[in-house]
Amino acid sequence: MKKLLLYCSILGMISLLLAAVPGCAGRKAEPAILTLWHNYGGQLKETMDELIDEFNETVGTGEGIIISVTTISGSASIHEKLVMAANDEPGASPLPDITTAYPKTALLLAEKELLVDLDQLFTAEELSRYVPQFVEEGRLEGGSLYIFPTAKSTEVLFLNRTIFDRFARETGATIADLETFEGIARVAVLYYDWTDRQTPAVSNDGKAFFMSDSLFNYALVGCRQLGADFIDGDSIAFSSPQYARVWESYFKPAVLGRAAIYNGYATDLFKTGEIVCSTGSTAGVMFFSSTVTHPDNTTEPAELAILPYPFFEGGAKIAMQRGAGMCVTRSTRERERMAAVFLKWFTSPENNLRFVSSTGYLPVTGDAFGEIMSREIETIPHEKIKELLSTCRIMQKEYAFLIPPLFQGIDELQERYEAGFKEIASFSRESCRELALNSTLERAYEAVAESALTDFSNQF
Amino acid sequence: MSNIFTRIRGVRRRLQQNPRFSDAAEMPLGQKFYLFLVVLLLTIFLGVIAILQLTGTFTAGLAEKARYFENELVHASTRMASQYGQISLQTIDLAKNLSRSIEQQALGMGISPGHLAGHPHLLEEIISGECDEALFALQLSKSSGVFLILDATINPALEGAAHSRAGLYIKNMEPNIISASSPNIIILRGFPGIGHERLLPLHAQWRMEFDVSEAPYYHHPMEAAKEHPHLPVSRLYYWSDPVRLPGTSEEVMLCAAPLIDSKGSVFGVCGLEISAMLFKLSHMPNNSDYRRLFGMLSPLKDDRIELGRSFFAGGYLAKMIAGEQSVLQIAKQRHRFHTYRQGRDDIFMGLHKSIQLYPQDSVFFHQQWVVAVMVPEKDLMVSVTRLNIIRFISLVLLVIAGVVISFNLSNRFFLRPLSRGLAMIRASDLEAAPRTRIPEIDNLIDYLARRNRELAEKARRENLSLETLDRFLDRIAELTPAERQVFKLYGEECTAPEIAEKLCLSINTIKTHSKHIYMKLEISSRKEIALYITLLQEIGIEID
Repeated sequence: MKKLLLYCSILGMISLLLAAVPGCAGRKAEPAILTLWHNYGGQLKETMDELIDEFNETVGTGEGIIISVTTISGSASIHEKLVMAANDEPGASPLPDITTAYPKTALLLAEKELLVDLDQLFTAEELSRYVPQFVEEGRLEGGSLYIFPTAKSTEVLFLNRTIFDRFARETGATIADLETFEGIARVAVLYYDWTDRQTPAVSNDGKAFFMSDSLFNYALVGCRQLGADFIDGDSIAFSSPQYARVWESYFKPAVLGRAAIYNGYATDLFKTGEIVCSTGSTAGVMFFSSTVTHPDNTTEPAELAILPYPFFEGGAKIAMQRGAGMCVTRSTRERERMAAVFLKWFTSPENNLRFVSSTGYLPVTGDAFGEIMSREIETIPHEKIKELLSTCRIMQKEYAFLIPPLFQGIDELQERYEAGFKEIASFSRESCRELALNSTLERAYEAVAESALTDFSNQF
Repeated sequence: MSNIFTRIRGVRRRLQQNPRFSDAAEMPLGQKFYLFLVVLLLTIFLGVIAILQLTGTFTAGLAEKARYFENELVHASTRMASQYGQISLQTIDLAKNLSRSIEQQALGMGISPGHLAGHPHLLEEIISGECDEALFALQLSKSSGVFLILDATINPALEGAAHSRAGLYIKNMEPNIISASSPNIIILRGFPGIGHERLLPLHAQWRMEFDVSEAPYYHHPMEAAKEHPHLPVSRLYYWSDPVRLPGTSEEVMLCAAPLIDSKGSVFGVCGLEISAMLFKLSHMPNNSDYRRLFGMLSPLKDDRIELGRSFFAGGYLAKMIAGEQSVLQIAKQRHRFHTYRQGRDDIFMGLHKSIQLYPQDSVFFHQQWVVAVMVPEKDLMVSVTRLNIIRFISLVLLVIAGVVISFNLSNRFFLRPLSRGLAMIRASDLEAAPRTRIPEIDNLIDYLARRNRELAEKARRENLSLETLDRFLDRIAELTPAERQVFKLYGEECTAPEIAEKLCLSINTIKTHSKHIYMKLEISSRKEIALYITLLQEIGIEID
């Protein structure tokens, strides 16, 4: 009788299976959808879309993973959304499985125990394939790895070679002059005078030669190059002689109209030929236009040259290390594992180089930076990227990279510093112009510069 | 007694040796039984298949999928109709506001809007003056861009000035972020000073002016306004196909309306943009069942859909499979689905419905647009086929399991006990036979045992021992053939005259045979013969 019951049970189970088929067929292998927020918008979006589509079609299909991008936004906006989500604010979106984040954002999320320690998802051997200082930057509280290096950048010097060559032919300036900030300042004087001479009818209408996209980074790196720290604890060390030199190197050209003071990126001023060179992130390379448009709508081609980040004479070759990485938020072990599968695929040397080839970010693995890049660099379609990567390889060998300090309030400090510097430089420029009407330019500058640094530092 | 049973067994052996009852000629009962079971189960199996086929179960998967697609299509078309309708209305409002505002500005400068082309030095001021209105429209409409193009250029002397137009094009790079405190607004076209003044950066693909050499979004609404001066702006706006503006990389659809001053002079266009990214993020279909499901908005002409002029939403790159410039012909309907054919191949299956982008009396009403929800044909068919294969395999498994279990149960509870019961019947001592737990067999054994007992009792009652019967049988063997014939007829209870008549012999001959029979069998009457024969029949012995 027991066997009879067993047989009946088997038949019953098969019948149930048959009955359940319409409901369950095709659902067995339903993939997991992982949400991703990233800040690779604009022209970078296309590359990112292609890579994600390819992942979904290949590895994702095999592993049952779909990466779904639910937010493409600027890093500030993503930061804002992540903070809202972390604080569970009304109307906040749920945290994504993977998000791009800068250390300041990651730190905030890590403090709330919302991030996965990536050491649990990657072996030491896997991590050893990545550029060590990039991995190091992602280690936050207690050395836990919260930010996975996906797209790092540094700062370089961008130069409108077309205008520079025309100017250099007539003034004797050379590319070698642009190796140092002092050299740039000297060339900027020549350029101002040269452009002033283009319009003999109008005096003192020379153009700015140079601009730094981030005056905060300019000071951070400049001080470090000269052997001092710009940040002391959580405040700015204004009193060091090294800072005074860094201040003077930008303040003076800015007041005298040789360096631009602009509330935006230098690429805007490049597009209209208002400046010739700038320091900025490698990630901005695709934002440089191949033409310059003048106010009368005439245009001319603009060849972009990319040079290593300048250094102060007698200082060390140091450049900023920048760029967001990707963080994995806490969910289930399986989803966290799947997120790691995507990150590994995305940063594999071949895919990393594909991403790098059209974005201006730096490779993050040793292989991608080394042999593979040497082999593939000629196949990169964008000349700008090709030149950028060549320059970065030189910098990788010759430069040390500075990881910016991380503390609560650094963003606000940076904003205040940059806004304050531009404000005092603009004000001083106007004052200098007025004083120069009755004096020499040098004397007028000395008059406005005398208390400028003190006034500026007193704001903090 | 044992002699009788020995004889009985002898008789059975003879019976078994008879070809009619031989195993060689007939299938054993067990095998027959198994065969019947298989036939029964196969009949049930085929019957179930036939019923499933007749009731449309095998194509029910497709019908179920069609419902899913219909839902997706309804959602997609509703959302698109709402978004495109809203942006159309806001474009009309923007055109009215800008027309009025620019006219006031121009008149303030002492010119009419229709003569802006002759005053290029005023363009920056006029356009800059409309920037806030444009930004307001951009934020209100939740579109990805706003533009204003004047029928004028800032440098008429330039080569290519005939196709260059001054204006302003502002893009919201994150139109999907509703609550962003700092929207990512960028100037794509226009005077750089406008951006500098408002801290709006220039787009990487920024240009000062618009190239309108191939710009239906510029020419069509202006021409329509000139040809139909009596029509209001709401009947003159125009939706462009998805296009890449010269010098840009992203596809956009532009809703453009003419700028008309109070005297009816057409002096430019303005409008709003839906970028490919905004479309994708706004109309992403639910692809949890079909990963390659995508929604699409396309112009329709002669039952043809041009993929190169369509917007897509969905994780699947339809253009990649079908080719950038390919055309899909809407082909036959299969189970409520349309197939979309490229050349001779059906490459997509799905559903579509038309969507109205214009009011009925619009100049552009004749332009047909469709919303479609599609999936590669292979994906849909694979899912349905897989469902049917699983159904079929489950049915086959059910039949196999049924056969195995039926054989096992039949063997265990029917055939094996039956064989054991028959073996018991063959055994000599029925009285000592164990119970089989099969009521029919046990009843049979009981019956046979009872019959044996009754026979023995009867024999004893008739003073006839089994030895007597045994001897009687031995004596029958001594009869001559003629005497045997007569004996047999006596056994059938015939009288002497009847026997004489049947055998065509004289009565005297019969009497002589009878005498010999009585003598040889040691009996004295015809009735005694009949008694012996009856007794023998009762114990299963027939006398030939």
